[in-house]
Amino acid sequence: MSAVIPVGMAELKIARCPEQLVVYGIGSCVIVSLYDPKSKAGGLAHVMLPDSTGIDPKVINPLKFADTAVPALYEALTGAGAFKSSLVAKIVGGSEMFPPTEDFENNIGRDNTEAVKKALKKLSLPLIAEDTGGRRGRSIEFDLESGIIKLSILGEELREI
Amino acid sequence: MQDVTNLTRTQLDALREIGNIGSGNAASALAQFLNRKIDMAVPSASIMDFKAIPAIIGGPDKTVMGIFLKVMGEISGRFLLLIPEKTSLKLLHTLIPGCEIDTPLKMGELESSCMREVGNILAGAFLNALSVITQTPMLNSLPSMTYDMAGAMIDSIVADMTAISDKVLMIETSFIESEEDLRIHIFLLPDPASLQLLLKKIGVV
Repeated sequence: MSAVIPVGMAELKIARCPEQLVVYGIGSCVIVSLYDPKSKAGGLAHVMLPDSTGIDPKVINPLKFADTAVPALYEALTGAGAFKSSLVAKIVGGSEMFPPTEDFENNIGRDNTEAVKKALKKLSLPLIAEDTGGRRGRSIEFDLESGIIKLSILGEELREI
Repeated sequence: MQDVTNLTRTQLDALREIGNIGSGNAASALAQFLNRKIDMAVPSASIMDFKAIPAIIGGPDKTVMGIFLKVMGEISGRFLLLIPEKTSLKLLHTLIPGCEIDTPLKMGELESSCMREVGNILAGAFLNALSVITQTPMLNSLPSMTYDMAGAMIDSIVADMTAISDKVLMIETSFIESEEDLRIHIFLLPDPASLQLLLKKIGVV
């Protein structure tokens, strides 16, 4: 029985085959996965907000933010022996759980998705798949053997990216 | 700005008391339109790590009905109702004659609109009581509703509140109709920026 490791909000976890990383109940958060198919090492960052500008990292966990969590994930993985040149990225989440009404809207999901893409681009990490946006929550299982992410969404068929 | 982690016991007690009054008013409204006796759990006012919130209603992947409203005015915040599947079906069957859906996933426009109205009435009753106590008008936005995993809703609601602190102030209570074990969880999350004013208005600065 291989280990199944949950990744909570504002957390970053790295793992290796045959382990699995799982995240339950992703809404406007964006899960960034990096995977190295050669060493079968990978990791997830659970991003809640786009931008860490102006925060004090001693007080606020920098792993909450796209611009700081993505480089941290990259460094954690390369530090653990993953090959820089073979790392590929997939992202999941960023939905707008509550439909906008006349007097409010909440676009954190969209902002998170854009900020994560920008941070990946800055590190020249190729984004090979995404399942983002929409109105539904998602849960995922990240298999470190294949690099495949299984997605479950309420009322929809299981799918993989 | 008042840091939520520095609240005193007296301040938390006062916040719990306004939770009590607000939810008492909302419980009467619910009892009235369901024509049933509604019991109310003792409210809590607590400073929570945002990560611990989903556990209150059974874990991040627990499927519930969520109705979300913004609280607007000088004292602003967020108001969330989480309603387990069984209770939401009971509400729909009671309030819509002939409604027989067996899962909230099959809700149509009529059912959605009915649940949003439930949210509107409960939030309105709760905030009315708060407006009276604080002598500050508090209005709610139109309600937005979804049926999904609790964790997914909560991250969307608290995300931007956690930009300045890992802790959020949450006033929470539940309504229970004991005969059939129907429950509604109410969460009020005052915006950190208006917390100071709220404390001043209830006399515990």
